[in-house]
Amino acid sequence: MSGHTHNTDDRRQLQMARSMCWHCQSEMAGEYFCDRCVKVQPVSKDVDYFTCFGLPRRLAIDTRVLEAKFYELSRAFHPDFYQNKSDAEQSISLGNSAMLNTAYRTLRDPIQRAEYLLDLEAGSVKDIRTSPPADLFEEILELQETLDEFRESDRASEQASTLRAKLHADRTNLEERQREMETRLHQLFSRWDALQDRGEATEEARTERSSILKDMRNILSNRTYVKNIVNDLVETIA
Amino acid sequence: MAYSEKVVDHFNNPRNMGSFKKEEDGVGTGIVGAPECGDVMKLQIKVQNDTIVDAKFKTFGCGSAIASSSLATEWLKGKTVEEAGKIKNTDIVQELNLPPVKIHCSVLAEDAIKAALADYQKKADSK
Repeated sequence: MSGHTHNTDDRRQLQMARSMCWHCQSEMAGEYFCDRCVKVQPVSKDVDYFTCFGLPRRLAIDTRVLEAKFYELSRAFHPDFYQNKSDAEQSISLGNSAMLNTAYRTLRDPIQRAEYLLDLEAGSVKDIRTSPPADLFEEILELQETLDEFRESDRASEQASTLRAKLHADRTNLEERQREMETRLHQLFSRWDALQDRGEATEEARTERSSILKDMRNILSNRTYVKNIVNDLVETIA
Repeated sequence: MAYSEKVVDHFNNPRNMGSFKKEEDGVGTGIVGAPECGDVMKLQIKVQNDTIVDAKFKTFGCGSAIASSSLATEWLKGKTVEEAGKIKNTDIVQELNLPPVKIHCSVLAEDAIKAALADYQKKADSK
């Protein structure tokens, strides 16, 4: 029990430290700049990318809003504007800019955004990892073997043209499945957002939450495997 | 990022590439994947009298994943089933000088070993 109390104290101290200006020690209300001395403040490593841009943890994002906020903060943190400032401010400006760029790149892309959300939520859901897709692996290994066969074949031979036709059909089929996965993924994104918007803390909501995250994890993983094999197919038979 | 000499060597001259028939007596098969990068690895062992007499792999992925599994098969040969279960991904990282971004490749190889051993055990138990 004492360990638990200790933890809470640590956290409170951390929050205190964060809400205090590193320069003038005043308690500041401003997000990235001290309200009193106007010095730039380091973005805490505990701040997630959504919060960094002032966005809720949703998967549908208005990219224009994201972009506008990115430009605004980019200007505010840009190292060029800190060349004549103290070393501390220069280093904060560099750190914040780097963090901002990574955050923007991650949130801009819907797939990376979802992967990031899953990382964030991994702690809140037990066992987000799902069992490996054994059937898909078998299929991929078989396809890779056919690809090897094709690579080693004499391109002018009848065997090569039979293999090419087969691989072409496989490619069409996999691309279709890839599209299906993306459709299902977007349905899950909408369900996640709706759940976030309702903000319920019921047992039901928790169950749905973890089921959505798990399904997302599954499809995102499978999508990567399928994407890889499709790339190999395209490269080889193109 | 440059690959270490050992990775390049395994990549250019992979040891024990190929496969056994899954149904064959004493053969254990592990197929695993890394969802982060989409690499897929198949590793097989052939066991006689509790000793791994042969091992083969097929990996579709980056150089480090291929090198990790190639090295794993080299290490597996001659080991007992129990010894094989003690191979750790950190041993592979050390031997191949894998950089931090490629550590998951060695994890994949360890997972493949574990899966192959589990498959062998399952087959042995069901007899």
